Amino acid sequence: MHVPVRLGPAELKLIDQLTAAGAVAEAERLSGAGLPTRRVEAYHYTDLKQLLRTVPELAAAATEASVPALRVAGAYQLMIANGVVQETGTAPAGVIVGKAAGGVLSTRDDVVTRLNMALTKECLTLDLDGSVDPVIQIDRRTEGAAGHSTSAAKIFVADDSSAVIVETYAGSEQAHLGNHATYLALGKNAKVTHITVNLAAAKATHFASNEYHLAEGAQLRTLIINAGAALSRTQLFPRYEGAGAHADITGLNLVSEGQHADITMDALHAVPHTSSKPLFKSIARGRSKAVVQGRLVVARDAQKTDAKLMSQGLMLSDEAEILCKPELEIYADDVVCGHGSTCGQLDEDSLFYLTSRGIAKADAETMLVRAFLAELVDPIEDEALNEALTAVIEGWLAGK
Amino acid sequence: MTTPMLEIRDLTVRIEEREILKGVNLVVPKGEVHAIMGRNGSGKSTLSYVLAGKEDYEVTGGEVLLDGVNILELEPSERATAGLFLAFQYPIEIPGVATMTFLKAALNAKRKANGEAEMSTPDFMKAVKEAGKALHIDSDMLKRALNVGFSGGEKKRAEILQMALLKPKMCILDETDSGLDIDALKVVSEGVNALRSPDRSMLVITHYQRLLNHIVPDVVHVFSDGRVVESGGKELALELEAKGYAGFDEAAA
Ligand SMILES: Nc1ncnc2c1ncn2[C@@H]1O[C@H](COP(=O)(O)OP(=O)(O)OP(=O)(O)O)[C@@H](O)[C@H]1O
Ligand SMILES: [Mg+2]
Repeated sequence: MHVPVRLGPAELKLIDQLTAAGAVAEAERLSGAGLPTRRVEAYHYTDLKQLLRTVPELAAAATEASVPALRVAGAYQLMIANGVVQETGTAPAGVIVGKAAGGVLSTRDDVVTRLNMALTKECLTLDLDGSVDPVIQIDRRTEGAAGHSTSAAKIFVADDSSAVIVETYAGSEQAHLGNHATYLALGKNAKVTHITVNLAAAKATHFASNEYHLAEGAQLRTLIINAGAALSRTQLFPRYEGAGAHADITGLNLVSEGQHADITMDALHAVPHTSSKPLFKSIARGRSKAVVQGRLVVARDAQKTDAKLMSQGLMLSDEAEILCKPELEIYADDVVCGHGSTCGQLDEDSLFYLTSRGIAKADAETMLVRAFLAELVDPIEDEALNEALTAVIEGWLAGK
Repeated sequence: MTTPMLEIRDLTVRIEEREILKGVNLVVPKGEVHAIMGRNGSGKSTLSYVLAGKEDYEVTGGEVLLDGVNILELEPSERATAGLFLAFQYPIEIPGVATMTFLKAALNAKRKANGEAEMSTPDFMKAVKEAGKALHIDSDMLKRALNVGFSGGEKKRAEILQMALLKPKMCILDETDSGLDIDALKVVSEGVNALRSPDRSMLVITHYQRLLNHIVPDVVHVFSDGRVVESGGKELALELEAKGYAGFDEAAA
């Protein structure tokens, strides 16, 4: 017997918004299924039905701009405000900036990406060719009164090209709902660093979904930082589609009192001879929750896949929770795949050693937290970018 | 009588319900070097950790005075800035913390506690370089993370380097000689001897008389089952070497 799902105010509002946008099929789908609960494996620790209580009105076009939450010195700046791709200055060599209608992630059976696809009116497009010199920053923001805004970017990096792309998510201090998508395709032997920094307002909800396509020999490094928003979920969908493709997927949840941050990766090693090293870290203080889910799927043909998933958590308070769920789904027989996870407090012996040299306890703790994070930040070679990310982390450590 | 540098009175310490130190009495006057010898598990490292302020231990009785000040209520960092230094038997490896960053933080913490300004980077580099040279510490080693990948001997030398930089008034060396080859033992001993001064005292924990040929102690204490059972001149170490600890167990009983 079919029992209809009881819909809450958030779901009803989303259904209205979908209907108004002409996405009738999506509206029907959501009416039937509702938002995912903990019974849906991918949302096990982030029960959207429970956590997403209200959805604000669709954001109107932005009329003002708040101070950028983070600006990388020397970067080429692009902006999407309330879903609208803003005009930009002259693009640097090797960069073609454009706009296209609609969203960018059409292939996933996932409520967050489906909502993004159905509601996004236009996307920023970037075509990168050669070794693109300045860092490219895409500043995504939700401005004005509390609003529901969706945005999208589609980035193609040509064969043998390289680029460093930073995306930041922020805006006015309101209870926004932001839902952002990135489609990033790396051509043969392309080398890309993709950094995303969620600095959304304290009361906001932040969703981001990044789909990566790696062709032969492509090398990707990511650093996904969740530092803002009351509720955030960043989804990563790397797809290794050419031999020799490799990614260092790294991510960091920084959660304080009242925050819930989730990084969920669902990776597909589709062909032989690809490798990945996902490394996720979480630091939680106060009453807060950090979630890391990592799923590695290795296709039947994808022999010689080498993938090692690691999740490390650091709890700075007794009420903090860090939840990790690895999942390996391996259909090939000649692979090296594994996962590990550690979770704990700062090491007492290390703390004692440092304090026994006269370093005050609080300073010693900060040193150890920095040490815990060094592995994520140190590989970011661009100096200005490294400094900007360090500033975000130091700001968090200082309690801001 | 002048105030001793370190005075331990009837110190009793428990860990997990088990009494490890059973009434330690020990006085190290200013400028003197004392050695502690005692069999494995007798409580020597426990004593050194308790002095430095490690948390796991429950002090159930007694007093510890550093230059006349009771330090048992102080945080480890406060004891250190007050001039206490423990060279660890097993120095801790701390990945992600650069050795130089650590040394600078320690040095500046001490200066801050003494109301001095932070040391400039060039002065700091110079101080480290000089201290490192005397201990034959290769500058590449200092570029690594704290103690990470250091050999046993390198770790011990790094401890003495820290001691030389921090210039403590009371140094406790817990088996600094173990793991050192003959040449390193000489280098380290010379480093320690260079730090001997009328206003600095040392407590040297060791199993081997050999070290005491290099760092000649004023007094040797025999430690057994959680207390000092015998004290004497440096010849006591030779006696111990000859007789073994068994000869001293009666005194403990
Ligand atoms: N954290 C601990 N938990 C339980 N027992 C402990 C702990 N630390 C020390 N002990 C016990 O206390 C006793 C004294 O240990 P300690 O390390 O002080 O000896 P030691 O004299 O330094 O020995 P060694 O010469 O081998 O270095 C030992 O029996 C040891 O097992
Ligand atoms: Mg010992």
